[in-house]
Amino acid sequence: MADKTQVYEYHEKSGHIVEFAGFLMPTWYKGIIPECAAVRNAVGLFDVSHMGRMIVSGKSAEAFLNYLTPNNVAGLKPFQGHYSVMCNEEGGIVDDIIVTRYDQELFMVVFNASNRRKDVTWITENSKRFNIKLDHASDKVAMFAVQGPKARATVQKISKEEVSKIPRFGCGWLTVDEVRCSASGTGYTGEDGLEIYVYDAPVDEPWRAMKVWNAMLEAGREFDIEPCGLGSRDVLRLEAGMCLYGNDIDETTTPLEARIGWVVKLEKGDFLGREALAKQKAEGVKRLRVGMKILDRGIARAGHEILKDGKLIGKVTSGTLSPLLGYSIATGFVPKEYFNEGEKVEIRVRDKTLAAEIVKMPFYDTSKYGWQRKA
Amino acid sequence: MKVGEYEYQEGFYYTKEHEWLRIEEDKCRIGLCDYAQKQLHEIVFVDLPKVGAKVTQMQSMGTVESVKAVADVFAPASGEVVETNTKLTNSPELLNSSPFGDGWIAVIKPSSLDQDLKALMDPKAYAEFLKTISEKK
Repeated sequence: MADKTQVYEYHEKSGHIVEFAGFLMPTWYKGIIPECAAVRNAVGLFDVSHMGRMIVSGKSAEAFLNYLTPNNVAGLKPFQGHYSVMCNEEGGIVDDIIVTRYDQELFMVVFNASNRRKDVTWITENSKRFNIKLDHASDKVAMFAVQGPKARATVQKISKEEVSKIPRFGCGWLTVDEVRCSASGTGYTGEDGLEIYVYDAPVDEPWRAMKVWNAMLEAGREFDIEPCGLGSRDVLRLEAGMCLYGNDIDETTTPLEARIGWVVKLEKGDFLGREALAKQKAEGVKRLRVGMKILDRGIARAGHEILKDGKLIGKVTSGTLSPLLGYSIATGFVPKEYFNEGEKVEIRVRDKTLAAEIVKMPFYDTSKYGWQRKA
Repeated sequence: MKVGEYEYQEGFYYTKEHEWLRIEEDKCRIGLCDYAQKQLHEIVFVDLPKVGAKVTQMQSMGTVESVKAVADVFAPASGEVVETNTKLTNSPELLNSSPFGDGWIAVIKPSSLDQDLKALMDPKAYAEFLKTISEKK
C-alpha cells in the first residue's frame, strides 16, 4: 500500500496520480506545460512532503554532519543552509541533500523520497560515535515548495514575517494563519523561491498542512499560481541542469564527475569518502556529466546511447522536451575529452540518430530565467 | 459516444492498445483513441511512418511522445502506408484536441483486411473494453 502525504486529498481531487518512491503523488494537475510556465513566469506550488527530513541535534551535531557530508557544515551560521551530498567510502553519492543550521546545535537534513529508508539507516549507522539526537521528522513535518519570480510575493501575503530578507539557502521562522512554519530560500527549479516547512503536521492529522497549502493557492491567485506535479518538477530541474538521484547520480558516481564538486571541501578535514575523492581530484576525473541540446527533432531520454562519430561514449541519464526552449535537452556522462561547449555528438533514439551538441547548464539564458535573472 | 470520460465513435474498429481504424473504400485511416491521448496528455512529438512503408498488424508503426512518456502506435491492420498526417509534425497537439478527426495519423492500403478485422473490436466491444479498464483504475 502506497503512502500519502498530508495534502493527498487535494492531489486526488485535482491531480493525475502516480506512484513515486512509494507515495501516491500528482504527476500533473492542469498539465506539465502550463505548470512549467507558471514557475518560470510567475509562481507554482509543489507538495514535497514525500521527501525525507531528519532533525539532528546535540553538542556533536556539527561534528557529525561535517563527517557525514563533504561540504563545510562548520561554516554554516544559524539560519543558513547549503546543498550537499552524503558519500560512501568510494566517494559514490549515497544521496544529495540540503543541510540547514537552525541553531548552534540544531540542524535539518532534507533528502530524496526515493532514498528515505536507505538514508535513515545510513545516517543512523554513521552517527554511533557522536553525541547527538536524531529525530526522523518526515511524517510529522509537511513541506511545500513555492517557486518562481512571484513566489516571495505570494508567501509574503500570508505571513507575518518579512520573507524578502531570507537569503538564498537561508531560512527563517514563519507564521501562516497561526500555523508554525519555517521558510528556506531553496527549491529545485532554478527559480527563486521558498520551501515552507509546516510543523506539527502529522500525516494522520493533516489540517495544519492543508491550511497552509490552501492559503498559498489563495494568496497566489492574483499571480495565476498553479499547483505543480512531479512532471513539471522534473522538467524544471533538468532545464536548470540539476541532478536527479537515481537517474543522473547514484552510488557509482562521485560529486566530482557529476559536476557538483563545489560541495566537496577537501581542506576541511576528515569526512566519509574524503580519501577516494581526494585521489580522484588529484588524478583527474575520467568522465563528466554534460548538458546536451538536441539539434534534430526528437526527444532523448534516459538510457539512450551517446555516440561520437558512431562510437559509443556514454548514456543519457535524463532527457526531456523543454517547453521553455522548444527543443529537447538531455544530460549524461561522457569521457572528459568530449567536455567542450559546442562539441558535436549523436544520440541514438530507437532506430534514429539525433544530432546533439554539448552546451552549458542551466540550459536557459540565466539573464532571463532562473534566480539570477535581471528583473 | 462515451464510456466515463472516454469518447469512442461508431463506424470505427479498435485495438486493445487504443488505436482506431476506419475503412474508406479500399483504404484505411488510422489514429489514436481518446483514451490513449488522455493517458499521454500533452502530446509534443510524433514520429510518423514513411509513405511506402510496409506495416504489420500490431507491430509498431511510429511513436507519439508526451513531455514525460513515449508510446508506440501499433498498426491496427497490415498494409502499405499511402499517406501520413504531416500536420502532426508541427501540431502534435491535434492528437489531443481531435483524436478521431484532424489528429489522424496515417492512411494505409490494407493487404489482408478481412483477416485483420477479426482481431479488432467493433464499437460495442470497445465500449465494453473501456468499461472494464476504467473500472480497474
